[in-house]
Amino acid sequence: MALTLAVLLCFASGYFIAALGWPRRPCPSDFAVLDSLAAGCGLGLFSFVYVLSRAIGNAHLIATDFAAVGLLLVAFLLIRSRQPAQLSKPTENWQLSDVTRRMLTAVFLFALAAALYAAITRVIVHPHGEGWDAFSIWNLHARFLFRSGPAWSEGFSPLIPWSHPDYPLLTPGAIAHFWTYLGHETQAVPAVIAIVFTFATVGLLYSSLAVLRGRIAALLASLALLTTPFFIEQGTSQYADVPLSFFILAAISMLCLHDAFAQNDATKTNRLLVLAGVNAGFAAWTKNEGLLFLVALITARALAVIREATLSPQRAQLMASATRKFLPLLIGMAPALLLIAWFKHFVAPPGDLFPDRALAIHKLFEPARYGAVLRWYGKDFLRFGEWLLIPGTLLLIVFYFLLKPKREPQTHRLAPGFATSYLALSLTLAGYFVIYLITPRDIYWHLRNSLNRLFLQLWPSAIFLFFLLITPAVKKSAHLPEELAKSPN
Amino acid sequence: MVTEQSEKNQTSVAILIFAFCCLLSTVRILGSAPRPRHLQPDSVARRSDQRLASLKAALPARGVIGYIGEPGIAGTADYYLAQYALAPLVVDNSENHSLVIGNFPGRPNEPVTANLKLIRNFGDGLLLFTNEEAK
Repeated sequence: MALTLAVLLCFASGYFIAALGWPRRPCPSDFAVLDSLAAGCGLGLFSFVYVLSRAIGNAHLIATDFAAVGLLLVAFLLIRSRQPAQLSKPTENWQLSDVTRRMLTAVFLFALAAALYAAITRVIVHPHGEGWDAFSIWNLHARFLFRSGPAWSEGFSPLIPWSHPDYPLLTPGAIAHFWTYLGHETQAVPAVIAIVFTFATVGLLYSSLAVLRGRIAALLASLALLTTPFFIEQGTSQYADVPLSFFILAAISMLCLHDAFAQNDATKTNRLLVLAGVNAGFAAWTKNEGLLFLVALITARALAVIREATLSPQRAQLMASATRKFLPLLIGMAPALLLIAWFKHFVAPPGDLFPDRALAIHKLFEPARYGAVLRWYGKDFLRFGEWLLIPGTLLLIVFYFLLKPKREPQTHRLAPGFATSYLALSLTLAGYFVIYLITPRDIYWHLRNSLNRLFLQLWPSAIFLFFLLITPAVKKSAHLPEELAKSPN
Repeated sequence: MVTEQSEKNQTSVAILIFAFCCLLSTVRILGSAPRPRHLQPDSVARRSDQRLASLKAALPARGVIGYIGEPGIAGTADYYLAQYALAPLVVDNSENHSLVIGNFPGRPNEPVTANLKLIRNFGDGLLLFTNEEAK
């Protein structure tokens, strides 16, 4: 009973957050996006509420959850009545024969069943997670939060630096929240949360591409992700890399959906930017790499706004553009950023990556380190997914060249959301590169133990942007919503 | 019309090749998944919560305790698992605390320690010491 209530409140709060950001009355294809987002946003909010309650000594957790869901529901009902109805049918950008469609669907369903089977058996065999980080970092932090009572912050101690007490608390907070409802610990909670994040990422990739580019592109993209062995392995390992990949994808897909909807009615779409900001904030609350992504996203968005402003010489337009395209994103990020700032300042000891700034700067001038990181970037580009025989990254490149001659010439310049997303991912990769250059640890040890996971964090988003770019534009004569028929996004 | 149909066929072939190449890795996903007949939980709970349950009952509920154990990678895993089991206690890998736990799984004899006085031997290499010289 308690568990059912917790699941309902978690999902409902996530759904209302997603629905508040959605700019139109949802049609069936929209519901899949909202449901996928609801899973991640609900867990993000559950973590947020739990840690905030701990911080202020609030003992009435269930009442707080009801209040949060109630507030979101009221806001949702107020906004819902003003939302425009969905008038157009879903798009289909790739015209294929029925036989090809059926074969593709069958391959997808087989891959989905295989991934589900592997995920479930893995969490049964590894209920405490697979790999040291699961029990020495993430589940340990959940235990500190749940077991310590008012003295919860004592566990985030510099005496155990190997447990990375400076890491953000999205997954530990969500786990501890569910344990509080149950009144006891069970490993089923982190195991199920891991599976939910894994398949919600696939669901979000599928559903957001289905809205933007049709069902075939959605099937191909989610197939590429589902058949990445390392994604399934990591997704069920109870590490935080796949949850982070979910929130990065959510932020990026909301930016791109914003562009698509903005073609129709710009005044009603700022909420999608807020939703993108909320998810970027959750990414930063999941892992320190998420904080890097958030900074990259802000930088990329600022560059996009500045670039647009340079095209229009009037200062007033610059301000209007900045307000319209930048401020909603920051508003969405703000709650998580405030919580992170408080946690880093008042609870967490300093991280272990910057113990000696002078030495770090010195390392930036060692050419051999650049060579080492570049070589590992090259190697892991082809092997991080642990694919069988054909690397997924290589497969995407070959697929691009196979279809390139058949695509219509690209006549539209890249939309700001796509450009922002692409630049944000590139800046994040560049940021990882710099971290490796200055790492205080042995550079090869550090690369060997983390680079594949860092690439995995960006993999769902990279697949999303790839299929957004490569899927052909829909001819306007078709029965398609005009705002979604532009290409590339 | 013929060109359009030809392009459609080529696109179909490219998409199916892509799909089946993806499917290759599903073989690896299935191959590395645990077999249904061997779905036994791994050793984490046995080496942490179950093994340290009696020791945990003898320790204070909160605070910081010291720790000594085997060197090397196996010893590090035992240390992390001890911290995992004993949370919310903070287990510092140091003798410099008034209470120190010893974790030597598989070792038949008690380790010789200069500053530590044995309080209780819980068996299976689990020991509880006191350090009167601790700050």
